[in-house]
Amino acid sequence: METGERLKKLFQKITETWGLYKEAAQATAVETIETELGEMENIFGLLVLGSFIGFPSPPMQITLDLLPEMEKHFVLMLNKVDMAQSPISDLLSTFDVM
Amino acid sequence: MDKATKNIFFLGKGGVGKSTSSALTALHLAETGKTVQLVSLDPAHNQSDIFEKKFAEKAVKINTNLTVKEVDIDYWVKKYLSDIQFQVKRSYSYLTAFNLENYLDIIKYSPGIEEYALLMAYKNIRKKAKGVDYIIFDMPPTALTLKFLTLPHLSLIWLDNLLDLRNKIIEKRQIITKVKLGKKEIETDKIRNKLHEQIKDYREVKTIFEDKEKTFLNLVMNTDKLSFSESELIVDNLNKFNISIKNIFLNKYHDDFDISEIRNKYKQSGIQVLPASNKPLLGVAVLNDYLRALPAFIEM
Repeated sequence: METGERLKKLFQKITETWGLYKEAAQATAVETIETELGEMENIFGLLVLGSFIGFPSPPMQITLDLLPEMEKHFVLMLNKVDMAQSPISDLLSTFDVM
Repeated sequence: MDKATKNIFFLGKGGVGKSTSSALTALHLAETGKTVQLVSLDPAHNQSDIFEKKFAEKAVKINTNLTVKEVDIDYWVKKYLSDIQFQVKRSYSYLTAFNLENYLDIIKYSPGIEEYALLMAYKNIRKKAKGVDYIIFDMPPTALTLKFLTLPHLSLIWLDNLLDLRNKIIEKRQIITKVKLGKKEIETDKIRNKLHEQIKDYREVKTIFEDKEKTFLNLVMNTDKLSFSESELIVDNLNKFNISIKNIFLNKYHDDFDISEIRNKYKQSGIQVLPASNKPLLGVAVLNDYLRALPAFIEM
């Protein structure tokens, strides 16, 4: 095999490996941001809809005006409250054990 | 909304004569040729007794320049909640909306709804009062009035912070879509739009409340110590929110009272003295007689 061809192959290998690394790193980074995003959405839900579960909340009309757009937050928060008393069953259902 | 229309609020401790002072001011301004709408936001609704006429949401004409109406706060609370319920039903899945109904029933009694209903009524009155020079508001007792006047300011603090968090969430979401799809997508977040709408609304009201050319606050007090100290509390509270008192109405005044203390304390405000009347101030004729007997009436 000629030197030029060898170099070309080596370069190809490096590019491939780099591509794999990039994809893996990107996936991890996106996952981290997604988790952060989820938590931020939870905080937002809790801030706006806190009065439904006994948290201090903004003036009621702010909550009520946003309520029609916040079904997802609302359902999530009520589910969390339901599960708050039984963290173990929450964990089991997360892993789909029973 | 007619931007030239001026607001006059009458506030003070319960029973000091807010309704009488506002009725007198309304009659006086109407007499000088200004068009005036007198609105009672006080659930006690004394204007019906003062004018000896039944008032309701629909404005009733007293003379060519003056109309009077009484606002039913309960109506506004109910209307607001049913509007929200309608929107929730439209945008939620059936089951969630069904579960939420119980919550909404309870909200009727939640603190804060009353002052918001007042604010809605206020906005509606301003929208409808086209071409009116002055809208005079006969306010409810101190606590509710203070909450009403400071509501825009306090709501804006919450809204600005919520918008901040929302923007961060949207920014994060855009990063994710950019990495996944390779291009940045401009998002239309309904929650953010709602926040923007609310902020715009409150800013508008707050600007008018703080505008000394458009909103005049008249504080009514008597010559007794209790009404003095409550007035002090009102002034201090409102100053914190950049709202100042234009005039003091010293109602049920009698000659042996030393007015200099009030003059010294409230140097920035004008003072209108309303001497104690020997007969009840009821009916337009009696009110007009009383006005004619006054040496002067403060300018608004």
